[in-house]
Amino acid sequence: MTARVGTLKGRLAGWLLATVGLLGTLLLVEAYTGAQRAADRAYDSQLEAASLSIAEAVQWQDGQPIVEMPAAALQILATDAQERVFYGLLTATDQPVTGNLSGALIASVRNLLADGPAYARVQSRGTPVRLYGRELMAAGWEATEPVEIWVGHTVAGRKALALELFLGTLARFVVMVLLTVLLLMLAVRMALQPLRRLRSALRSREADDVSPLNARVPGELSELVDTLNALFERQREGRNTLLRFTADASHQLKTPLAGLQSASELALQSDNPEDWRRALQTVHDSSERTSRLAGQLLSLARLGHGTGASHTRLELRELLRETVLEWAEREVARNHDVGLAALPATPCVIRGEPWALRELLANLIDNALRYTPAGSEITLALERSAQWITLSIADTGPGVSQEVLHRLHQPFERGGRQDTGGSGLGLAIVDSIARLHKATLLLRSEPGQGLWVGVRFPAEPAEVL
Amino acid sequence: MSRYLQVVLTGIWLLASAVMAQERIPLTVTAALDRDMAAPLLDAFARAHPDIELIYEDVSTQAADQRARTTDPPPDVVISSAMPWQMALVNEGLAQPLHSQAARNWPAWAQWRNEVFGFTFEPVVTVFRLELARHMLPPGTHADLHTLLSGQRALLKGRVTTYGPASSGIGQMLFQQDARYSPRFWDLVAAMGAVDVSLENSTRAMLAGLTEGRYWLGYNLLGSYAIAWARRHPELIVRIPQDYALVMMRMAFIHRDAPNPAAARRFMNFVLGPEGQRVLAGDTPLFSVLPEVVGPYTAQRLRDQIGERLYPIPINASLLAFDDPLRRRLFMVRWRRELE
Repeated sequence: MTARVGTLKGRLAGWLLATVGLLGTLLLVEAYTGAQRAADRAYDSQLEAASLSIAEAVQWQDGQPIVEMPAAALQILATDAQERVFYGLLTATDQPVTGNLSGALIASVRNLLADGPAYARVQSRGTPVRLYGRELMAAGWEATEPVEIWVGHTVAGRKALALELFLGTLARFVVMVLLTVLLLMLAVRMALQPLRRLRSALRSREADDVSPLNARVPGELSELVDTLNALFERQREGRNTLLRFTADASHQLKTPLAGLQSASELALQSDNPEDWRRALQTVHDSSERTSRLAGQLLSLARLGHGTGASHTRLELRELLRETVLEWAEREVARNHDVGLAALPATPCVIRGEPWALRELLANLIDNALRYTPAGSEITLALERSAQWITLSIADTGPGVSQEVLHRLHQPFERGGRQDTGGSGLGLAIVDSIARLHKATLLLRSEPGQGLWVGVRFPAEPAEVL
Repeated sequence: MSRYLQVVLTGIWLLASAVMAQERIPLTVTAALDRDMAAPLLDAFARAHPDIELIYEDVSTQAADQRARTTDPPPDVVISSAMPWQMALVNEGLAQPLHSQAARNWPAWAQWRNEVFGFTFEPVVTVFRLELARHMLPPGTHADLHTLLSGQRALLKGRVTTYGPASSGIGQMLFQQDARYSPRFWDLVAAMGAVDVSLENSTRAMLAGLTEGRYWLGYNLLGSYAIAWARRHPELIVRIPQDYALVMMRMAFIHRDAPNPAAARRFMNFVLGPEGQRVLAGDTPLFSVLPEVVGPYTAQRLRDQIGERLYPIPINASLLAFDDPLRRRLFMVRWRRELE
């Protein structure tokens, strides 16, 4: 079952929202400060113009600066926003010449004039006021002394202009975002079109259709399609294997059953109790083989579903010794020399399923017994290296050719031999169990030199059990 | 049906008497505007707003300015003809804005910051006695006046009056405006000095002198007072200068710290609204500012008669220049020099 983690549209919308939100905040902060700067520039130039106009009117008379306050200067100062206006003139000796600015207010900002004309923001009776001050060197007949000119006004106009500029930017931004969202929604629709096509292609497939997908998709989706095709390919292979296995299994089961039928028919036609007994013996042997075959098929099927989840740590030396001893005493092994090579001194620990490993060993030994002539030597060994533990079995039988060597682990493969009582499932079971333990099946053989079968397990850290 | 109506009417009557019985809201209006001149307006307001008890303080321009600055509690509404002073008060932040239909409807040139409103339209006029007309052609323009003063120096000596700029705020403002429009104004001042002009503090004093026969010619009188006066004194002729005529406006604002701001707003809305302006146009020679108001005394009618030569003293920041202490001092220095 697939867990549903939102929709692609939702994700895209989320990212878009985050991006727009973050960038938008930065942009709007910038726009706000920018609007304020622009408003300040516009209104500061009015202050300068008014100051200039007043400076034009300054004259010296009888050692005193005089100025007939120009009405236009005050009107410039008030601006279209009808600001309240403030102005003040002072001599170099701090004597107020004229104006409506309080002396205390000027005193608080006049040190700014040391570096030339200056702007200041002050509070006049609780109202913010923007001031501009400059020093004027006015020439007169008697004296040449600087005169300080301060002009200022309230800031309602600046605020209104800044707000207007900001709202303009905001409106443009909102329109842009809306357009972007619209276009992106269209773009997402377009972009997801191939995905929808793919979905409908998958949905309309027959349940047992495992042919590769034939869909035109963009680059990003081709990997998905390739993966799906690979999955279909594996399914097809798996299904073919299953079909082959079923066919082979049926065939294998049919042979002993046919034997049973013919033996029983022969016995039925005869009146001789001796024939009956022989037929019964044949029936008994055949049914035993069939039963074993069925057992092997069952275990192969069961192994196919193994997950390795129930694996435990176990010691291979112990297991090997027990199994070999048990087999050596069996009736089937009396014509063979079943032996155990010297075991490693250190524990050989792997993770595994005890019953499966016993089954593996049993199949290996059983195979060796079946496919070698009487009197052959069968030697089991255990080797360990840093990473691997290799369990092997070697016989002195006829061996197999190189061509059949790599097919030996396939089900019902008897290495080209029809003369034995084997089903051809032994090594297939061994291979399955090996894979279940992440182990590798190794096969070595020279015709006439016998067969060596090894199972290489990954070694577990050799800690104390 | 009639029973039902009777019940409703009784209810209304009870409600009305309950309202009447309530304590009336006091409203202090400090005004440099003669009570008898403003009486029709004040009466109309009292009729329209019976729940407000109007306390009308008729004071001089100086007193109005002083009270707006210092009294505690301050007056609710301040009205004055000393336009630069009113402007200075507003510029200092002593006014509060008025946001109402009447304020929005008010012409932009007659208000500032939504805080102070010029609500009358009073031309500045020349007044002469009939005797003058018997001896010479009465002056129609400022240039005529200058010629007359220069040519008839002997006859007019001591018989010319005008505002004393040192003692009258309005007078100084008017002269400053005159000086602003023409440099030849100073020739006129010199000519007035040559005929030993008598300087008075108020239009009323000048009109009294004219009526008594002490003066033959008065320069720069407030048209509102002069027109009302001349109606009772047929020997006086009021003439609006033909070259340019200054127009003075009474400026009114609600004080920032008004104790009864709601009543003050109602007063202002009445004065600026069509009702108040209709009273100004019909029953007072203060002239209505609103162009849509009809009556004998309207700015529109004056414009139709005089044409483009009306120069309303602008209500904007430039007024503050005329309140600049140094500028006033320099003006007085020049005035005295020219007068001698």
